[in-house]
Amino acid sequence: MKKHTSAGRRTAWFFAYLFMALCVAVAVFPIIWVILSSFKSNQEILSNGLSWPTQWSFDGYRQALEMAPIFQYFLNSLIVTVLSTALNVLALSMAGYVFAKKQFRGKNLLFSILSLSMVIPTTALLSPIYVTITKLGLYDTKAALVLVYAALSMPISLMILRSTFAGVPKELEEAAYIDGAGFLRTFFSVMMPCARGGIASASVLAFLEGWNEFTFALLLTSSGNVRTLPLSLSYFTSQFSFNYTAMFAAITIAVIPSIIVFTVFSEQVNASIVAGSVKG
Amino acid sequence: MRKKERKWIVLFLLPVCLLFVVFFAVPLGMVFVQSLFDYRLLPNKFEFIGFGNYAKLFLRDPKFLPVLKNTLLWILIHCIGHVALGSALAFVLYKKPRGWKFVRVVYMIPNIISQSAIAMIFVNMYNPQFGAVNQFLKAIGLEKLMHNWLFDMSTAFPAITMTWFLFAGYTTTLVLAQCLSTDETVIEAARVDGASGFQIDRLVMFPLVKEMIGTTVIMAATYMLQMFSMIYITTGGGPGSATTNLPLYLYSNMKSNNYGYASTIGVVIIIVGFLTMRIIQRIFGMNKEEVA
Repeated sequence: MKKHTSAGRRTAWFFAYLFMALCVAVAVFPIIWVILSSFKSNQEILSNGLSWPTQWSFDGYRQALEMAPIFQYFLNSLIVTVLSTALNVLALSMAGYVFAKKQFRGKNLLFSILSLSMVIPTTALLSPIYVTITKLGLYDTKAALVLVYAALSMPISLMILRSTFAGVPKELEEAAYIDGAGFLRTFFSVMMPCARGGIASASVLAFLEGWNEFTFALLLTSSGNVRTLPLSLSYFTSQFSFNYTAMFAAITIAVIPSIIVFTVFSEQVNASIVAGSVKG
Repeated sequence: MRKKERKWIVLFLLPVCLLFVVFFAVPLGMVFVQSLFDYRLLPNKFEFIGFGNYAKLFLRDPKFLPVLKNTLLWILIHCIGHVALGSALAFVLYKKPRGWKFVRVVYMIPNIISQSAIAMIFVNMYNPQFGAVNQFLKAIGLEKLMHNWLFDMSTAFPAITMTWFLFAGYTTTLVLAQCLSTDETVIEAARVDGASGFQIDRLVMFPLVKEMIGTTVIMAATYMLQMFSMIYITTGGGPGSATTNLPLYLYSNMKSNNYGYASTIGVVIIIVGFLTMRIIQRIFGMNKEEVA
Protein backbone atom coordinates (compact mmCIF):
# COMPACT_ATOMS: atom_id res chain seq x y z
CA MET A 1 0.00 0.00 0.00
CA LYS A 2 2.75 2.41 0.98
CA LYS A 3 6.10 2.74 -0.75
CA HIS A 4 8.73 0.35 0.55
CA THR A 5 10.89 2.28 2.96
CA SER A 6 13.03 -0.47 4.43
CA ALA A 7 13.96 -4.09 4.10
CA GLY A 8 12.07 -4.82 7.30
CA ARG A 9 8.86 -3.47 5.93
CA ARG A 10 9.36 -5.40 2.72
CA THR A 11 9.79 -8.66 4.64
CA ALA A 12 6.65 -7.86 6.60
CA TRP A 13 4.73 -7.43 3.36
CA PHE A 14 6.20 -10.63 1.97
CA PHE A 15 4.85 -12.58 4.93
CA ALA A 16 1.54 -10.75 4.75
CA TYR A 17 1.06 -11.83 1.13
CA LEU A 18 2.25 -15.36 1.90
CA PHE A 19 -0.31 -15.57 4.70
CA MET A 20 -3.07 -14.29 2.43
CA ALA A 21 -2.11 -16.81 -0.24
CA LEU A 22 -2.17 -19.66 2.29
CA CYS A 23 -5.61 -18.63 3.55
CA VAL A 24 -6.96 -18.57 0.00
CA ALA A 25 -5.36 -21.93 -0.75
CA VAL A 26 -6.83 -23.52 2.37
CA ALA A 27 -10.27 -22.20 1.50
CA VAL A 28 -10.39 -23.21 -2.14
CA PHE A 29 -8.16 -26.29 -2.44
CA PRO A 30 -10.69 -28.82 -1.05
CA ILE A 31 -13.46 -27.46 -3.26
CA ILE A 32 -11.31 -27.36 -6.39
CA TRP A 33 -10.09 -30.88 -5.69
CA VAL A 34 -13.70 -32.09 -5.50
CA ILE A 35 -14.66 -30.28 -8.71
CA LEU A 36 -11.65 -31.64 -10.62
CA SER A 37 -12.29 -35.15 -9.35
CA SER A 38 -15.88 -34.98 -10.59
CA PHE A 39 -14.56 -34.97 -14.17
CA LYS A 40 -12.25 -37.97 -13.75
CA SER A 41 -13.00 -41.63 -14.18
CA ASN A 42 -13.15 -43.88 -11.13
CA GLN A 43 -9.87 -45.42 -12.22
CA GLU A 44 -8.17 -42.05 -12.38
CA ILE A 45 -9.47 -40.97 -8.99
CA LEU A 46 -7.93 -44.07 -7.43
CA SER A 47 -4.62 -43.98 -9.30
CA ASN A 48 -3.65 -40.32 -9.36
CA GLY A 49 -5.99 -38.27 -7.22
CA LEU A 50 -3.97 -35.08 -7.31
CA SER A 51 -3.50 -34.72 -11.04
CA TRP A 52 -5.47 -32.77 -13.61
CA PRO A 53 -8.17 -34.90 -15.35
CA THR A 54 -6.74 -36.50 -18.50
CA GLN A 55 -10.02 -36.06 -20.27
CA TRP A 56 -12.99 -34.05 -19.10
CA SER A 57 -16.07 -36.19 -18.82
CA PHE A 58 -19.54 -35.24 -17.69
CA ASP A 59 -20.55 -38.86 -17.10
CA GLY A 60 -20.35 -38.34 -13.34
CA TYR A 61 -22.98 -35.62 -13.49
CA ARG A 62 -25.31 -37.70 -15.64
CA GLN A 63 -24.97 -40.65 -13.27
CA ALA A 64 -25.32 -38.51 -10.16
CA LEU A 65 -28.61 -37.05 -11.37
CA GLU A 66 -29.86 -40.52 -12.30
CA MET A 67 -28.90 -42.08 -9.00
CA ALA A 68 -30.12 -39.36 -6.63
CA PRO A 69 -32.97 -36.88 -7.16
CA ILE A 70 -30.71 -33.95 -6.34
CA PHE A 71 -33.01 -31.41 -7.97
CA GLN A 72 -35.87 -32.66 -5.82
CA TYR A 73 -33.74 -32.12 -2.68
CA PHE A 74 -32.69 -28.73 -4.01
CA LEU A 75 -36.34 -27.80 -4.52
CA ASN A 76 -37.27 -29.05 -1.04
CA SER A 77 -34.54 -26.89 0.46
CA LEU A 78 -35.68 -23.90 -1.56
CA ILE A 79 -39.34 -24.26 -0.51
CA VAL A 80 -38.53 -24.76 3.15
CA THR A 81 -35.99 -21.95 3.27
CA VAL A 82 -38.06 -19.37 1.38
CA LEU A 83 -41.11 -20.02 3.55
CA SER A 84 -39.18 -20.05 6.84
CA THR A 85 -37.34 -16.86 5.90
CA ALA A 86 -40.59 -15.12 4.92
CA LEU A 87 -42.31 -16.25 8.12
CA ASN A 88 -39.36 -15.24 10.26
CA VAL A 89 -38.88 -11.81 8.73
CA LEU A 90 -42.58 -10.94 8.69
CA ALA A 91 -43.16 -12.04 12.27
CA LEU A 92 -40.02 -10.35 13.55
CA SER A 93 -40.64 -7.14 11.59
CA MET A 94 -44.03 -6.87 13.26
CA ALA A 95 -42.55 -7.49 16.68
CA GLY A 96 -39.50 -5.31 16.01
CA TYR A 97 -41.74 -2.41 14.99
CA VAL A 98 -43.89 -2.68 18.09
CA PHE A 99 -40.87 -3.00 20.39
CA ALA A 100 -39.14 -0.05 18.76
CA LYS A 101 -42.03 2.39 18.39
CA LYS A 102 -44.89 1.54 20.72
CA GLN A 103 -45.33 1.87 24.46
CA PHE A 104 -47.17 -0.80 26.42
CA ARG A 105 -47.06 -2.31 29.86
CA GLY A 106 -44.47 -5.06 30.40
CA LYS A 107 -42.57 -4.17 27.23
CA ASN A 108 -39.08 -4.42 28.70
CA LEU A 109 -39.90 -7.59 30.59
CA LEU A 110 -41.30 -9.25 27.47
CA PHE A 111 -38.28 -8.20 25.47
CA SER A 112 -35.86 -9.61 28.06
CA ILE A 113 -37.77 -12.88 28.06
CA LEU A 114 -37.66 -13.11 24.27
CA SER A 115 -33.94 -12.26 24.34
CA LEU A 116 -33.39 -15.40 26.40
CA SER A 117 -33.69 -17.29 23.13
CA MET A 118 -30.26 -15.88 22.26
CA VAL A 119 -28.49 -17.72 25.02
CA ILE A 120 -30.18 -21.12 24.80
CA PRO A 121 -28.08 -23.59 22.79
CA THR A 122 -30.72 -25.14 20.54
CA THR A 123 -28.98 -28.52 20.38
CA ALA A 124 -29.87 -28.89 24.06
CA LEU A 125 -33.53 -28.82 23.04
CA LEU A 126 -33.41 -31.64 20.49
CA SER A 127 -35.39 -34.10 22.57
CA PRO A 128 -38.29 -31.79 23.57
CA ILE A 129 -38.54 -30.26 20.09
CA TYR A 130 -38.70 -33.74 18.57
CA VAL A 131 -41.46 -34.66 21.02
CA THR A 132 -43.33 -31.39 20.37
CA ILE A 133 -43.19 -31.76 16.60
CA THR A 134 -44.31 -35.38 16.83
CA LYS A 135 -47.22 -34.49 19.12
CA LEU A 136 -48.27 -31.71 16.73
CA GLY A 137 -48.44 -34.37 14.02
CA LEU A 138 -45.79 -32.56 11.99
CA TYR A 139 -43.08 -35.23 11.99
CA ASP A 140 -41.59 -35.70 8.51
CA THR A 141 -43.28 -32.66 6.99
CA LYS A 142 -41.87 -29.53 5.40
CA ALA A 143 -44.04 -27.48 7.77
CA ALA A 144 -42.02 -28.75 10.74
CA LEU A 145 -38.79 -27.49 9.21
CA VAL A 146 -40.36 -24.17 8.19
CA LEU A 147 -41.48 -23.51 11.76
CA VAL A 148 -38.26 -24.68 13.41
CA TYR A 149 -36.05 -22.68 11.05
CA ALA A 150 -38.17 -19.57 11.53
CA ALA A 151 -37.67 -20.04 15.27
CA LEU A 152 -33.92 -20.70 15.00
CA SER A 153 -33.38 -17.34 13.31
CA MET A 154 -35.67 -15.54 15.72
CA PRO A 155 -33.06 -14.13 18.14
CA ILE A 156 -30.83 -12.56 15.51
CA SER A 157 -33.75 -11.16 13.47
CA LEU A 158 -35.31 -9.69 16.61
CA MET A 159 -32.12 -7.77 17.40
CA ILE A 160 -31.57 -6.56 13.84
CA LEU A 161 -35.16 -5.54 13.18
CA ARG A 162 -35.82 -3.83 16.48
CA SER A 163 -32.79 -1.60 16.05
CA THR A 164 -33.68 -0.97 12.40
CA PHE A 165 -37.21 0.19 13.23
CA ALA A 166 -35.87 2.24 16.11
CA GLY A 167 -33.74 4.12 13.57
CA VAL A 168 -36.71 5.13 11.40
CA PRO A 169 -37.59 8.78 12.16
CA LYS A 170 -40.68 9.22 14.29
CA GLU A 171 -41.95 12.00 12.04
CA LEU A 172 -42.59 9.60 9.18
CA GLU A 173 -44.87 7.50 11.35
CA GLU A 174 -46.71 10.53 12.70
CA ALA A 175 -47.14 11.98 9.22
CA ALA A 176 -48.71 8.72 8.08
CA TYR A 177 -51.19 8.79 10.97
CA ILE A 178 -52.07 12.43 10.28
CA ASP A 179 -52.72 11.48 6.66
CA GLY A 180 -55.30 9.07 8.03
CA ALA A 181 -53.41 5.81 7.57
CA GLY A 182 -54.32 3.12 10.07
CA PHE A 183 -51.95 0.88 12.06
CA LEU A 184 -51.61 -1.71 9.31
CA ARG A 185 -51.18 0.77 6.45
CA THR A 186 -48.58 2.71 8.42
CA PHE A 187 -46.66 -0.48 9.07
CA PHE A 188 -46.76 -1.97 5.60
CA SER A 189 -46.51 1.10 3.37
CA VAL A 190 -44.43 3.50 5.49
CA MET A 191 -42.40 1.61 8.10
CA MET A 192 -41.50 -1.57 6.19
CA PRO A 193 -40.03 0.30 3.18
CA CYS A 194 -37.99 2.50 5.53
CA ALA A 195 -36.60 -0.59 7.27
CA ARG A 196 -35.63 -2.46 4.11
CA GLY A 197 -31.90 -2.42 4.96
CA GLY A 198 -32.46 -4.34 8.17
CA ILE A 199 -35.08 -6.54 6.54
CA ALA A 200 -32.53 -7.47 3.85
CA SER A 201 -29.89 -8.33 6.48
CA ALA A 202 -32.30 -10.41 8.53
CA SER A 203 -33.50 -12.20 5.39
CA VAL A 204 -29.98 -13.06 4.28
CA LEU A 205 -29.07 -14.51 7.67
CA ALA A 206 -32.35 -16.42 8.02
CA PHE A 207 -31.93 -17.78 4.51
CA LEU A 208 -28.38 -18.97 5.18
CA GLU A 209 -29.50 -20.62 8.42
CA GLY A 210 -32.31 -22.53 6.73
CA TRP A 211 -30.40 -23.37 3.58
CA ASN A 212 -27.52 -24.97 5.48
CA GLU A 213 -29.27 -26.44 8.53
CA PHE A 214 -28.65 -30.13 9.11
CA THR A 215 -29.37 -31.28 12.66
CA PHE A 216 -33.10 -30.61 12.81
CA ALA A 217 -33.59 -31.85 9.26
CA LEU A 218 -32.02 -35.14 10.35
CA LEU A 219 -34.08 -35.28 13.51
CA LEU A 220 -37.47 -34.24 12.17
CA THR A 221 -37.68 -35.82 8.72
CA SER A 222 -37.13 -39.30 7.36
CA SER A 223 -38.58 -39.68 3.87
CA GLY A 224 -37.02 -38.67 0.59
CA ASN A 225 -39.78 -36.30 -0.48
CA VAL A 226 -39.09 -33.83 2.34
CA ARG A 227 -35.31 -34.35 2.41
CA THR A 228 -33.34 -31.11 2.17
CA LEU A 229 -30.09 -30.66 0.29
CA PRO A 230 -27.73 -30.61 3.32
CA LEU A 231 -29.36 -33.75 4.68
CA SER A 232 -29.17 -35.51 1.33
CA LEU A 233 -25.39 -35.05 1.32
CA SER A 234 -25.03 -37.37 4.28
CA TYR A 235 -26.59 -40.17 2.23
CA PHE A 236 -24.14 -39.78 -0.64
CA THR A 237 -21.54 -42.19 0.75
CA SER A 238 -23.96 -45.09 0.82
CA GLN A 239 -25.96 -43.96 -2.20
CA PHE A 240 -23.02 -43.81 -4.57
CA SER A 241 -21.00 -46.52 -2.78
CA PHE A 242 -18.08 -47.07 -5.16
CA ASN A 243 -19.03 -44.63 -7.89
CA TYR A 244 -16.66 -41.89 -6.74
CA THR A 245 -17.06 -39.84 -9.90
CA ALA A 246 -20.80 -39.56 -9.32
CA MET A 247 -20.30 -38.70 -5.67
CA PHE A 248 -17.88 -35.89 -6.50
CA ALA A 249 -20.31 -34.64 -9.14
CA ALA A 250 -23.17 -34.71 -6.65
CA ILE A 251 -21.18 -32.71 -4.09
CA THR A 252 -20.26 -30.21 -6.80
CA ILE A 253 -23.90 -29.80 -7.83
CA ALA A 254 -24.80 -29.21 -4.20
CA VAL A 255 -22.22 -26.49 -3.48
CA ILE A 256 -21.89 -24.57 -6.75
CA PRO A 257 -25.18 -22.61 -6.47
CA SER A 258 -24.25 -21.34 -2.99
CA ILE A 259 -20.80 -20.30 -4.15
CA ILE A 260 -22.14 -18.43 -7.19
CA VAL A 261 -24.90 -16.67 -5.27
CA PHE A 262 -22.49 -15.72 -2.51
CA THR A 263 -19.85 -14.38 -4.90
CA VAL A 264 -22.44 -12.20 -6.62
CA PHE A 265 -23.98 -10.87 -3.41
CA SER A 266 -20.92 -11.01 -1.16
CA GLU A 267 -21.17 -7.34 -0.19
CA GLN A 268 -24.75 -7.78 0.99
CA VAL A 269 -23.91 -11.03 2.82
CA ASN A 270 -20.93 -9.42 4.55
CA ALA A 271 -23.02 -6.44 5.60
CA SER A 272 -25.68 -8.80 6.98
CA ILE A 273 -23.17 -10.79 8.99
CA VAL A 274 -21.82 -7.59 10.49
CA ALA A 275 -25.34 -6.35 11.24
CA GLY A 276 -26.11 -9.66 12.94
CA SER A 277 -23.15 -9.40 15.27
CA VAL A 278 -24.11 -6.00 16.67
CA LYS A 279 -26.40 -6.90 19.49
CA GLY A 280 -29.33 -4.71 20.44
CA MET B 1 -58.41 4.95 19.23
CA ARG B 2 -55.93 3.87 21.91
CA LYS B 3 -57.88 0.74 22.62
CA LYS B 4 -57.78 -0.07 18.94
CA GLU B 5 -54.02 0.38 18.90
CA ARG B 6 -53.58 -1.99 21.84
CA LYS B 7 -55.40 -4.65 19.85
CA TRP B 8 -52.93 -4.23 17.00
CA ILE B 9 -49.94 -4.36 19.36
CA VAL B 10 -51.12 -7.67 20.75
CA LEU B 11 -51.74 -9.00 17.28
CA PHE B 12 -48.27 -7.94 16.12
CA LEU B 13 -46.57 -9.62 19.05
CA LEU B 14 -48.56 -12.82 18.80
CA PRO B 15 -46.58 -14.69 16.08
CA VAL B 16 -43.24 -14.14 17.81
CA CYS B 17 -44.60 -15.08 21.19
CA LEU B 18 -46.07 -18.28 19.71
CA LEU B 19 -42.74 -19.20 18.10
CA PHE B 20 -40.95 -18.45 21.35
CA VAL B 21 -43.33 -20.45 23.51
CA VAL B 22 -43.47 -23.49 21.22
CA PHE B 23 -39.78 -23.71 20.30
CA PHE B 24 -37.92 -22.12 23.21
CA ALA B 25 -39.91 -21.74 26.43
CA VAL B 26 -41.79 -25.04 26.47
CA PRO B 27 -38.81 -27.11 25.24
CA LEU B 28 -36.60 -25.42 27.81
CA GLY B 29 -39.01 -26.37 30.57
CA MET B 30 -39.37 -29.84 29.13
CA VAL B 31 -35.60 -30.40 29.07
CA PHE B 32 -35.42 -29.82 32.80
CA VAL B 33 -38.53 -31.90 33.52
CA GLN B 34 -37.55 -34.77 31.21
CA SER B 35 -34.12 -34.92 32.82
CA LEU B 36 -35.80 -36.04 36.04
CA PHE B 37 -37.68 -38.87 34.38
CA ASP B 38 -36.99 -42.20 32.81
CA TYR B 39 -38.65 -41.18 29.58
CA ARG B 40 -39.06 -43.55 26.64
CA LEU B 41 -41.35 -43.62 23.60
CA LEU B 42 -42.97 -46.67 22.00
CA PRO B 43 -43.82 -48.13 24.43
CA ASN B 44 -44.43 -44.95 26.34
CA LYS B 45 -42.74 -44.71 29.70
CA PHE B 46 -42.59 -41.62 31.88
CA GLU B 47 -41.37 -42.52 35.33
CA PHE B 48 -40.05 -40.04 37.89
CA ILE B 49 -36.55 -40.97 39.05
CA GLY B 50 -35.40 -37.72 40.67
CA PHE B 51 -31.75 -37.08 40.00
CA GLY B 52 -31.18 -40.65 38.83
CA ASN B 53 -30.15 -39.58 35.34
CA TYR B 54 -27.68 -37.07 36.76
CA ALA B 55 -26.19 -39.63 39.14
CA LYS B 56 -25.78 -42.06 36.28
CA LEU B 57 -24.30 -39.42 33.99
CA PHE B 58 -21.70 -38.10 36.40
CA LEU B 59 -20.89 -41.20 38.42
CA ARG B 60 -21.58 -44.34 36.42
CA ASP B 61 -21.29 -43.45 32.76
CA PRO B 62 -17.75 -44.14 31.51
CA LYS B 63 -18.49 -42.35 28.23
CA PHE B 64 -19.62 -39.04 29.68
CA LEU B 65 -16.32 -37.59 30.92
CA PRO B 66 -14.42 -38.22 27.67
CA VAL B 67 -17.34 -36.70 25.76
CA LEU B 68 -17.38 -33.63 28.02
CA LYS B 69 -13.60 -33.36 27.70
CA ASN B 70 -13.82 -33.48 23.87
CA THR B 71 -16.46 -30.76 23.89
CA LEU B 72 -14.52 -28.45 26.20
CA LEU B 73 -11.25 -29.05 24.37
CA TRP B 74 -12.87 -28.23 21.05
CA ILE B 75 -14.41 -25.06 22.48
CA LEU B 76 -11.01 -24.02 23.85
CA ILE B 77 -9.15 -24.73 20.60
CA HIS B 78 -11.78 -22.89 18.61
CA CYS B 79 -11.96 -19.86 20.90
CA ILE B 80 -8.19 -19.43 20.89
CA GLY B 81 -6.64 -20.82 17.70
CA HIS B 82 -9.48 -20.33 15.27
CA VAL B 83 -10.25 -16.78 16.40
CA ALA B 84 -6.55 -15.88 16.43
CA LEU B 85 -6.22 -17.11 12.85
CA GLY B 86 -9.25 -15.16 11.63
CA SER B 87 -8.22 -12.02 13.50
CA ALA B 88 -4.65 -12.24 12.17
CA LEU B 89 -6.00 -12.29 8.64
CA ALA B 90 -8.23 -9.30 9.41
CA PHE B 91 -5.20 -7.39 10.71
CA VAL B 92 -3.42 -8.08 7.43
CA LEU B 93 -6.41 -7.17 5.27
CA TYR B 94 -7.38 -3.89 6.93
CA LYS B 95 -4.20 -2.30 5.57
CA LYS B 96 -5.77 -2.95 2.16
CA PRO B 97 -2.96 -4.83 0.43
CA ARG B 98 -3.57 -5.62 -3.22
CA GLY B 99 -6.31 -8.23 -3.59
CA TRP B 100 -7.69 -7.83 -0.06
CA LYS B 101 -11.31 -7.82 -1.21
CA PHE B 102 -10.73 -10.99 -3.20
CA VAL B 103 -9.21 -12.70 -0.16
CA ARG B 104 -12.12 -11.62 2.01
CA VAL B 105 -14.67 -13.09 -0.39
CA VAL B 106 -12.81 -16.32 -1.14
CA TYR B 107 -11.92 -17.06 2.48
CA MET B 108 -15.61 -16.82 3.35
CA ILE B 109 -16.70 -19.48 0.83
CA PRO B 110 -16.20 -22.52 3.12
CA ASN B 111 -18.39 -20.79 5.71
CA ILE B 112 -21.20 -20.05 3.27
CA ILE B 113 -21.64 -23.57 1.93
CA SER B 114 -23.29 -25.97 4.31
CA GLN B 115 -21.42 -27.80 7.04
CA SER B 116 -22.60 -31.09 5.62
CA ALA B 117 -21.01 -30.25 2.25
CA ILE B 118 -17.70 -29.42 3.95
CA ALA B 119 -18.00 -32.65 5.90
CA MET B 120 -18.57 -34.66 2.73
CA ILE B 121 -15.61 -32.95 1.07
CA PHE B 122 -13.38 -33.93 4.00
CA VAL B 123 -14.69 -37.49 4.09
CA ASN B 124 -13.16 -37.72 0.64
CA MET B 125 -10.05 -35.65 1.38
CA TYR B 126 -9.23 -38.07 4.21
CA ASN B 127 -10.15 -41.22 2.31
CA PRO B 128 -7.30 -43.70 2.83
CA GLN B 129 -7.19 -44.82 -0.82
CA PHE B 130 -7.81 -41.79 -2.99
CA GLY B 131 -8.02 -38.86 -0.55
CA ALA B 132 -5.94 -35.79 -1.29
CA VAL B 133 -4.14 -35.97 2.07
CA ASN B 134 -2.71 -39.44 1.56
CA GLN B 135 -2.10 -38.86 -2.15
CA PHE B 136 -0.08 -35.79 -1.26
CA LEU B 137 2.01 -37.66 1.32
CA LYS B 138 2.66 -40.36 -1.24
CA ALA B 139 3.66 -37.81 -3.87
CA ILE B 140 6.31 -36.30 -1.61
CA GLY B 141 7.57 -39.70 -0.45
CA LEU B 142 6.19 -39.69 3.07
CA GLU B 143 4.19 -42.90 2.65
CA LYS B 144 4.88 -43.92 6.21
CA LEU B 145 2.79 -40.99 7.45
CA MET B 146 -0.29 -42.19 5.58
CA HIS B 147 -3.24 -42.95 7.82
CA ASN B 148 -6.87 -43.83 7.72
CA TRP B 149 -7.23 -40.39 9.24
CA LEU B 150 -10.84 -40.40 10.43
CA PHE B 151 -10.92 -43.97 11.71
CA ASP B 152 -7.54 -44.30 13.33
CA MET B 153 -7.76 -43.82 17.09
CA SER B 154 -4.66 -41.63 17.19
CA THR B 155 -5.59 -39.26 14.34
CA ALA B 156 -9.39 -38.99 14.40
CA PHE B 157 -9.60 -36.09 16.85
CA PRO B 158 -7.00 -33.82 15.20
CA ALA B 159 -8.20 -34.80 11.71
CA ILE B 160 -11.76 -33.81 12.48
CA THR B 161 -10.64 -30.63 14.21
CA MET B 162 -8.99 -29.52 10.97
CA THR B 163 -12.32 -29.72 9.13
CA TRP B 164 -13.46 -26.53 10.86
CA PHE B 165 -10.38 -25.03 12.49
CA LEU B 166 -8.94 -23.34 9.40
CA PHE B 167 -12.15 -21.78 8.12
CA ALA B 168 -12.31 -18.58 10.13
CA GLY B 169 -14.18 -16.49 7.57
CA TYR B 170 -16.79 -15.19 10.01
CA THR B 171 -14.13 -13.96 12.43
CA THR B 172 -12.17 -12.29 9.63
CA THR B 173 -15.28 -10.61 8.24
CA LEU B 174 -16.39 -9.24 11.61
CA VAL B 175 -12.99 -8.11 12.90
CA LEU B 176 -12.13 -6.62 9.52
CA ALA B 177 -15.39 -4.66 9.44
CA GLN B 178 -14.59 -3.27 12.86
CA CYS B 179 -11.02 -2.36 11.80
CA LEU B 180 -12.28 -0.60 8.70
CA SER B 181 -14.85 1.39 10.65
CA THR B 182 -12.21 3.04 12.84
CA ASP B 183 -11.21 6.59 12.11
CA GLU B 184 -8.21 6.60 9.79
CA THR B 185 -6.85 9.81 11.31
CA VAL B 186 -6.16 7.89 14.53
CA ILE B 187 -3.90 5.50 12.63
CA GLU B 188 -2.34 8.36 10.70
CA ALA B 189 -1.57 10.25 13.92
CA ALA B 190 0.16 7.19 15.38
CA ARG B 191 2.21 6.83 12.21
CA VAL B 192 3.26 10.48 12.33
CA ASP B 193 4.34 9.90 15.91
CA GLY B 194 6.73 7.26 14.59
CA ALA B 195 4.86 4.10 15.57
CA SER B 196 5.78 1.02 13.54
CA GLY B 197 3.15 -1.06 11.78
CA PHE B 198 3.25 -3.68 14.47
CA GLN B 199 2.97 -1.10 17.25
CA ILE B 200 -0.08 0.42 15.55
CA ASP B 201 -1.71 -3.01 15.31
CA ARG B 202 -0.96 -3.85 18.91
CA LEU B 203 -1.43 -0.54 20.72
CA VAL B 204 -3.99 1.33 18.62
CA MET B 205 -6.02 -1.14 16.58
CA PHE B 206 -6.26 -4.07 18.97
CA PRO B 207 -7.93 -2.13 21.81
CA LEU B 208 -10.41 -0.70 19.30
CA VAL B 209 -11.49 -4.12 18.06
CA LYS B 210 -11.10 -6.04 21.32
CA GLU B 211 -14.81 -6.15 22.03
CA MET B 212 -15.58 -7.40 18.52
CA ILE B 213 -12.98 -10.14 19.01
CA GLY B 214 -14.84 -10.98 22.21
CA THR B 215 -18.05 -11.30 20.20
CA THR B 216 -16.34 -13.65 17.75
CA VAL B 217 -15.00 -15.72 20.65
CA ILE B 218 -18.56 -16.12 21.93
CA MET B 219 -19.67 -17.10 18.44
CA ALA B 220 -16.81 -19.62 18.23
CA ALA B 221 -17.78 -21.14 21.58
CA THR B 222 -21.44 -21.38 20.58
CA TYR B 223 -20.45 -22.92 17.24
CA MET B 224 -18.39 -25.64 18.90
CA LEU B 225 -20.89 -26.29 21.67
CA GLN B 226 -23.52 -26.96 19.00
CA MET B 227 -21.29 -28.77 16.51
CA PHE B 228 -23.12 -31.81 15.22
CA SER B 229 -23.34 -32.30 11.48
CA MET B 230 -19.65 -32.40 10.62
CA ILE B 231 -18.92 -35.05 13.23
CA TYR B 232 -22.06 -37.01 12.45
CA ILE B 233 -21.17 -37.20 8.75
CA THR B 234 -17.42 -37.80 9.01
CA THR B 235 -16.83 -40.17 11.93
CA GLY B 236 -20.21 -40.52 13.59
CA GLY B 237 -18.37 -39.84 16.85
CA GLY B 238 -15.98 -42.76 16.52
CA PRO B 239 -13.71 -44.59 16.74
CA GLY B 240 -15.09 -45.56 20.13
CA SER B 241 -16.13 -42.17 21.44
CA ALA B 242 -12.90 -40.45 20.41
CA THR B 243 -14.75 -37.74 18.49
CA THR B 244 -18.11 -37.69 20.26
CA ASN B 245 -19.21 -34.38 21.74
CA LEU B 246 -22.22 -33.49 23.88
CA PRO B 247 -24.76 -32.89 21.06
CA LEU B 248 -23.76 -36.13 19.37
CA TYR B 249 -24.02 -38.04 22.62
CA LEU B 250 -27.41 -36.49 23.27
CA TYR B 251 -28.57 -37.56 19.81
CA SER B 252 -27.30 -41.12 20.19
CA ASN B 253 -29.25 -41.42 23.44
CA MET B 254 -32.39 -40.25 21.68
CA LYS B 255 -31.81 -42.87 19.01
CA SER B 256 -31.55 -45.55 21.70
CA ASN B 257 -34.93 -44.37 23.01
CA ASN B 258 -33.61 -42.79 26.19
CA TYR B 259 -35.18 -39.35 26.01
CA GLY B 260 -34.84 -38.54 29.69
CA TYR B 261 -31.12 -39.23 29.64
CA ALA B 262 -30.77 -37.21 26.43
CA SER B 263 -32.40 -34.25 28.14
CA THR B 264 -30.01 -34.60 31.08
CA ILE B 265 -27.20 -34.10 28.58
CA GLY B 266 -29.21 -31.15 27.24
CA VAL B 267 -29.14 -29.57 30.68
CA VAL B 268 -25.36 -30.05 30.77
CA ILE B 269 -25.11 -28.30 27.37
CA ILE B 270 -27.14 -25.36 28.67
CA ILE B 271 -24.97 -25.07 31.78
CA VAL B 272 -21.70 -25.37 29.83
CA GLY B 273 -22.98 -22.72 27.40
CA PHE B 274 -23.95 -20.34 30.18
CA LEU B 275 -20.65 -20.72 32.04
CA THR B 276 -18.52 -20.38 28.90
CA MET B 277 -20.36 -17.22 27.92
CA ARG B 278 -19.88 -15.71 31.38
CA ILE B 279 -16.16 -16.52 31.38
CA ILE B 280 -15.64 -15.02 27.93
CA GLN B 281 -17.55 -11.87 28.87
CA ARG B 282 -15.43 -11.53 32.00
CA ILE B 283 -12.16 -11.93 30.03
CA PHE B 284 -13.13 -9.39 27.38
CA GLY B 285 -14.74 -6.96 29.78
CA MET B 286 -18.11 -7.23 28.05
CA ASN B 287 -20.24 -6.67 31.09
CA LYS B 288 -22.95 -4.65 29.44
CA GLU B 289 -24.25 -7.41 27.23
CA GLU B 290 -27.85 -7.95 26.29
CA VAL B 291 -27.97 -10.85 28.72
CA ALA B 292 -29.93 -9.60 31.68
